[in-house]
Amino acid sequence: MNTIARAVCGFVLSVAGLTASAQQQGVTADNILIGAFGPITGPAAYIGLAGRDGMNLAIKEINAAGGINGRKLSSAFEDDAHSPTRGLAAAKKLIEQDKVFMLMSVGGSNATAGTIDYVRDSKLIMYVSIASVPQVTWPFAKNMFRGGTTESARYGELYAEFLSTHFKTKKIGIMSGREEYPRNEGDATVIKLKDWFGLAPVARVEFNIGDKDFTPQLVQMQKAGPDVIAFLGNPAEAAIAMRQAKELGLKQPFFVGSNMVDPALILAARTSAEGVTGFSLIPLLPGSKNPDMVKWQESWKKEYPSAPAGRPNNFDVMAYADMYVVADAMKRAGKDLTTDSMIASLEATKDFSVGAIATKRTFSTKHHIGNLTLVPMIVQNGAWEPVTWSSSRQSDILNRY
Amino acid sequence: MTITLAFQLAIAGVSVGSIYALVALAIVIPFKSSGVLNFAQGEVVTFGAYAALVLTQLALPYPVVVLGVVVLGGVGGIVAERLLIRPIVQAPEFTLVMATFAIGLLIKGLISLKFGDSAASLDSPFDPEPLLAFGLRFNLTSLWILACTTFVTLSVIGFFKYTKMGKAMRAVSVNAEASRLMGIKVSSVYRWAWGISTAIGALSGLLVAPLIGINPEIGHLILRGLLAAVIGGFTSIAGAVFGGIAVGLIETFSGVLIGSTFKNLVPFLLLMLLLFFRPHGLFGAAEAKRV
Repeated sequence: MNTIARAVCGFVLSVAGLTASAQQQGVTADNILIGAFGPITGPAAYIGLAGRDGMNLAIKEINAAGGINGRKLSSAFEDDAHSPTRGLAAAKKLIEQDKVFMLMSVGGSNATAGTIDYVRDSKLIMYVSIASVPQVTWPFAKNMFRGGTTESARYGELYAEFLSTHFKTKKIGIMSGREEYPRNEGDATVIKLKDWFGLAPVARVEFNIGDKDFTPQLVQMQKAGPDVIAFLGNPAEAAIAMRQAKELGLKQPFFVGSNMVDPALILAARTSAEGVTGFSLIPLLPGSKNPDMVKWQESWKKEYPSAPAGRPNNFDVMAYADMYVVADAMKRAGKDLTTDSMIASLEATKDFSVGAIATKRTFSTKHHIGNLTLVPMIVQNGAWEPVTWSSSRQSDILNRY
Repeated sequence: MTITLAFQLAIAGVSVGSIYALVALAIVIPFKSSGVLNFAQGEVVTFGAYAALVLTQLALPYPVVVLGVVVLGGVGGIVAERLLIRPIVQAPEFTLVMATFAIGLLIKGLISLKFGDSAASLDSPFDPEPLLAFGLRFNLTSLWILACTTFVTLSVIGFFKYTKMGKAMRAVSVNAEASRLMGIKVSSVYRWAWGISTAIGALSGLLVAPLIGINPEIGHLILRGLLAAVIGGFTSIAGAVFGGIAVGLIETFSGVLIGSTFKNLVPFLLLMLLLFFRPHGLFGAAEAKRV
């Protein structure tokens, strides 16, 4: 009798075990739960609020169109306050308590950097839409993907080439913030200026996020006499620095990091933003008269009728497009959605396009950098306009994979 | 460093220092009269900036915007004192300080809820092009802030020295109980102290918005305001202004002479050094005690 009971118990337990292993975290018969995090408070909230809203707009549209292979998408969102420790806490909560299927980072590099080791070890997928922190995609990890943004090293390549060839100069000054993204992009630009053009910046100065006075840094720039100043930080700081530069008599044009190629900079800096250049991560900026962008903005404004000035911004578009990339991969992964099938499906993504509003995304089994295309822009008459310039160099960054 | 550059840096230092001075003033006034350190002043500055933004969007003329912001700030302070501070005024000092923290968080939360966290800007009523004089460049908005700081400082000094309410505030700050026994309505003193300080805080927000932009984080200015107030002695109006200007100058010059990395550190290091020799700040004095 005991033998029979033990056999029955063993059978029941093994079936239960099999069922448990087959059950993918965050996926039920009728729902797929995605965990997302980004800063919705603090100085970088302009990124996270937009990332969250853009992503949720896409989820609503995807569900309205029938969902994913019979399942609806839902999201759990955590505020990371642009802090590495808060980012890690958010990722842990989403994975361990909310039991999400995968993570979407729709915030900045500071917080995303704090999550990377933990998420790599978790083996769950993290899809990074906006943060450029290099460790997402280098060294390569099977479960980490980068969507709308590109890697810091790619920014470095494009910034270095644009600064030296568009401005036809060897005298470049760099002002970069001490937080994760501006420091990484500043470093990457310095490396490529040296590797590709044999140049070193005539001055490189740093500042803190939230600084209200840039006189010391601008005086150093004035002494060094660059022909162009690359400013890597946030719009609020750039607006103050550009105004103070005028007051100090600096006439050099400003080039800004891609996170500032957005209506937010013009809103904050007003006339001081005229003539500023930078790279956009999306081919059309909100406010463009292109029919695709006009249509998308109408949908966005219908969903968020009381949004503040400056929205929707680039990050709305990036997170929106990346949610469609993820959804497309989920569909192709089929009904039996697991982390492995999703990774395989994402890696098969080639030139996926959500329309003219976003760049195409391509991943492979060798690299997980979805976007290598950036569009140079200039502020003219209070609006970002494309610049006629194209890169003539082959990117080095895929060679290492 | 050339003389011209030194003067230009001094202009920049005084410009940013006058902003700190206004915030320091708004901190010192309620402390001087009620002994309460108001940590919500940073958010009052933020409130003033957003109030100015809204009133400007209504296409009101600048003087009306200024008046509106000052009145809204003052009334807001009086209401906050009546509803949130007075019921717990007998509580330990630490509780009161925490209550002001809570008021600050409430203001910031409401602002974020209504306006979001994106940066906005407010046009200055003055030409953004700097004025060239004596080989130096003067920002007209900065000059306007300096003029307003001077006016507010002199008004507040005059208020404390010559008006009945000002004298009552000074008396209450020395001994609230004795003042009450002498017929001073202490609750009225607290109310006016809060109203005046929040009006100044809101005015600061209106004045600095064209220079530093508007976002819910500009309340961080309170750190510099506190630093200025401590340097000045915490109970001295002139000391608060001196402290603010000094902090602005130290930041600017240390940034150029020592490096931008240390710009934010040097004023705090110098403060520690100052407190070592003058524990009550430059203009403060130890409270006299009968022995």
